Amino acid sequence: MDKTLLDRLMGQVSKPARYMGNEYNMVEKDPSKVSIRFAFAFPDVYEVGMSHLGMKILYHLINEREDTYCERVFAPWTDMEEKLRQHRLPLFSLETRDPVSSFDFIGFTLQYEMSYTNILNMLDLAGVPLRSRDRSASDPFVIVGGPCAYNPEPLAEFVDLVVLGEGEETINEILDAYLEWKDEKGSREDFLLRASRIPGVYIPAFYDVEYDSKGRVASVKPNRSGVPERIVKRIIPDLDKAYYPKTLVVPYMEIVHDRIMLEIFRGCTRGCRFCQAGMIYRPVRERSMDKLLELAENLVGNTGYEEMSLASLSTSDYSELENLARELMARFEKSRVSLSLPSMRVDSFAKEFIEQVQKVRKTGLTFAPEAGTQRLRDVINKGVTEEDLAASVIDAFESGWNTVKLYFMIGLPTETDEDLDGIAALARRVADCYYSVDREKRQKGLKITVSTSSFVPKPFTPFQWEPQDTMEVLREKQQKLQKHLRMKQVNYNWHDPEVSFLEAVFARGDRRLGEALYKAWEKGARFDGWAEHFSIDRWMEAFEDAGIAPAEYANRRREHDEIMPWDHIDTGVTKAYLWKEYQRALKGETTPDCRLDCTGCGVRRIGEGLC
Amino acid sequence: MRLFIRYAREERVKYISHLDLMRTFQRALRRARIPVAYSEGFNPHPRLAFASALAVGVTSSDEYMDIILEEPVAPEEFAARMNFVMPMGLPILDAVQVDEKVPSLMSMIERASYQVELSGTVPGLKQMVEDFLSRPAVEIEKQGKKGLQLVDIKPGIYMLRLDDENGSILHMLLQTGSKGNIRPETVVQEILRQQSNGGLEDGLLHIHRDGQYIYKEGEWVSPLALKY
Repeated sequence: MDKTLLDRLMGQVSKPARYMGNEYNMVEKDPSKVSIRFAFAFPDVYEVGMSHLGMKILYHLINEREDTYCERVFAPWTDMEEKLRQHRLPLFSLETRDPVSSFDFIGFTLQYEMSYTNILNMLDLAGVPLRSRDRSASDPFVIVGGPCAYNPEPLAEFVDLVVLGEGEETINEILDAYLEWKDEKGSREDFLLRASRIPGVYIPAFYDVEYDSKGRVASVKPNRSGVPERIVKRIIPDLDKAYYPKTLVVPYMEIVHDRIMLEIFRGCTRGCRFCQAGMIYRPVRERSMDKLLELAENLVGNTGYEEMSLASLSTSDYSELENLARELMARFEKSRVSLSLPSMRVDSFAKEFIEQVQKVRKTGLTFAPEAGTQRLRDVINKGVTEEDLAASVIDAFESGWNTVKLYFMIGLPTETDEDLDGIAALARRVADCYYSVDREKRQKGLKITVSTSSFVPKPFTPFQWEPQDTMEVLREKQQKLQKHLRMKQVNYNWHDPEVSFLEAVFARGDRRLGEALYKAWEKGARFDGWAEHFSIDRWMEAFEDAGIAPAEYANRRREHDEIMPWDHIDTGVTKAYLWKEYQRALKGETTPDCRLDCTGCGVRRIGEGLC
Repeated sequence: MRLFIRYAREERVKYISHLDLMRTFQRALRRARIPVAYSEGFNPHPRLAFASALAVGVTSSDEYMDIILEEPVAPEEFAARMNFVMPMGLPILDAVQVDEKVPSLMSMIERASYQVELSGTVPGLKQMVEDFLSRPAVEIEKQGKKGLQLVDIKPGIYMLRLDDENGSILHMLLQTGSKGNIRPETVVQEILRQQSNGGLEDGLLHIHRDGQYIYKEGEWVSPLALKY
């Protein structure tokens, strides 16, 4: 590896700090003194990957081990890729700038489907065979985890190990097993067999998938003895005892979420029916306020960050939120660390709370009613009413806010024209609320941003049986909304239907999609999540070459008794519960927050005593 | 209380931008629990200012910062506490207390010296440097308020010579600061202009700033050498 040349090339590309490393709190170890080298790879650029909480936790957790050096790897932007390929330099880690192919593990986190081509591209840049069957003794093991790993089937032939669920314990068990295996000098398969005995570890190569005459999954069966029929996700039972870093790598360049993230709880009890996170991260487990304050003190002291946010799926549901927010603001006001609160839900938004947030610094105000009418909000089980929203925005306007963002989804199951009209009506209602506030009290210059994403049916949700609207239908709906939202205070933006379509294909994909993925990558697909690099035409050609009809995956309604490609994976929530919820949805029946009363989702089977 | 700080930016962190560096210092100040003063107003910001910008990719052993503190911290203590929490490659070299009435470093520093290393030996470089020095004027195009303008940079080049030992290193002393700023790359580009394959991207190996100077009573002196 010509590190002098590499260093010079950094000077010839955009944002060289992406590749520079050497940030404050970067872990430095002597690679010759460790037994395992682990490359934690994020299949997107530095500023996206460095914002990811899971990576921060696992990076420091793995580096707590004296026998292992965990280093970071990100997808080089296209200008850097070009330089690397031109000079035949391989993919490298930030810490030591050593070639990733010489590591024991390459771990990818799967945050969104649109990063899959980057995984292939990074393996190729590293010089590691793309397909797991082609890897030999000297190649690293490719291991994946994260939300998309719950249905890893489209990536089955490219990865060696899949970690299901929260990885804090599993990863250490895998590394221990690796050391034992290394002593024994066994084959690659020996290690995978050993790993398959660790709960929550899924080895795709150890399962055979059969398809029926209609091309649907007929069965998924282990092809080795001793391999579990179903793989159950892992849960960290007590967050107060779970590992959380005392420090974070402090980037030089601005990253997407450039602040301390304080994870206040995992899971969500709301039960929104479109939401995969709400199902797969169950049960809810909170971190105690004492623990959080201790973590916050450590993190502010060790990073010097000027901003902190509370991370969770539904921050306002934290049982001691007001106390926590008040205490954090009181403690850090003098050192001018501001507190921001994302994922704000409309209903539990107290006025006093808004004022507390404002005390340090104003942050944006975001509401996510998700659907335009009460009927459709009941279908998706988003327990928010128009009156909740109105009361909240009036409070906000009275407290000096003048900018509101509203998030909706289009293409939801049972959606009609009336529901689309409802989106525009809600925007108008928010404007009316603003004008109802005293001219003296309100800040001039109302700005409402309405954003619509397109519904993507996700596995492990009550809507996993639902078809997605075709791209044409989504486009028509967007055009209709554009017309309805032509108001001077309103700014409307929407997601590309082509991207949503592809997400829908891969979210509920099976192993056969691997070929299309490979073909798309070969044709140059990468950074599909970046509009400037995404091309639907390239993807359609790839599907055709692979003999795949993508609409079968995105736009087809699944049968009740159909075997899903991910049915051998157990997230705790049962398929029977999801179906029950689906039926309730179609009838417009809501299901209350399960903190009030257990709704029988099934997670108690694996998380005994946790909820 | 006001301090002038001298620091270095070494090889391992040379690719950070001016804004990155500002954030880095702000965060280090918070880690060191230094009571930095904040501006008034709707969006208060910490009162620290760099004497001059350092381009991405350039290292330096002589950088300066001007900082106002809310409560006094002895200069030696400031340096010690900061060095404990600064990233590797950004050491604080010196700190001195200055009167609040002293003009800003940015307004006082007018010259900077550089070592520029070219990749490999450029045949005939010695002659090219001599030719360059003998030119009465060196006009380059600059984007001004009235569009592209021709500017003579020659008066702003106070010294230019080849290193005595290493034939691919150039030493130069150039105008810097608010009255005019000459980039060392520009000078190299002009010297190499005669060369047919003068692609600067591959020709320039490394730029290092090794001094910044203030004009005081007929002499060019280092900013911290002055009595304030």
